[in-house]
Amino acid sequence: MAKDGVAPGNAGQLSEEAIGYLDALYRMALRLTGNTHDAEDLVQETYLRAFRSLHQFQPGTNLRAWLFRILMNAFINEYRRQARRPTNTSLDELDEFSLYHQMRANNSHQVSGQPEQEVVTRLTEERVLAALDELPIEFRQVVQLADIEGFTYREIAEVLGIPIGTVMSRLHRGRRRLQRLLAPSVCHSPSLCQGRSSLC
Amino acid sequence: MLNCDDMAERLYPYLDRELSPEEMAAVKRHLQDCPPCRHWFVFEENILRYIGECGRKVRAPEELAARIRELRQS
Repeated sequence: MAKDGVAPGNAGQLSEEAIGYLDALYRMALRLTGNTHDAEDLVQETYLRAFRSLHQFQPGTNLRAWLFRILMNAFINEYRRQARRPTNTSLDELDEFSLYHQMRANNSHQVSGQPEQEVVTRLTEERVLAALDELPIEFRQVVQLADIEGFTYREIAEVLGIPIGTVMSRLHRGRRRLQRLLAPSVCHSPSLCQGRSSLC
Repeated sequence: MLNCDDMAERLYPYLDRELSPEEMAAVKRHLQDCPPCRHWFVFEENILRYIGECGRKVRAPEELAARIRELRQS
């Protein structure tokens, strides 16, 4: 057994545990690559690398974060260059859009109840996923890791190899941008915007 | 004492439970006393939850799961 690694007897259990993260890794791969074929290849490559280097995994550390880090590295190495939508939007661009405040500005008396219920009924799963895919990749990664997979800021920083402050900033702007992308679907509702919004 | 202008930058760290215990308590106190901020935070929390639910409906194809299991055996 390697001094700090996994005992051979534990490798089987660990690889089984790793397979338990298949859906989560596939979801991430699909959002990164944009198609099922490349997503499946990326996940397969991730597990190949993980099973090969399982002996290097530090017991007691975060297996899920370790697997996502492998996936991100594999993506950067093999798919990034041919990614379907290169970032062409400045990450420094001010993006403080708030769906709530937009709705409130358009129709203040309607926003005292539960506007989120109306938003939710207007947004299909397909529309939400399409909006996620429209985010610049730097935002998409953090939103997927935080909001779909429930990683903490520290874990996201570890997976992506960026400072926590950058995680927070990208997450904030990514969520705001996502709301801006979802707004036209939501504001299609006359009771929410009464046709006065420039977004409708 | 936090006021409404202090809340915007604390919105997401609060919903993500990433503030210190003291700051979490301070935000909670403000939300108890301020219906507009409370409505906003509840709205944002529900939108985030819904986005998460939509995203998590995606599942890996069964053929991929079988391939990964084969990979493990080899």
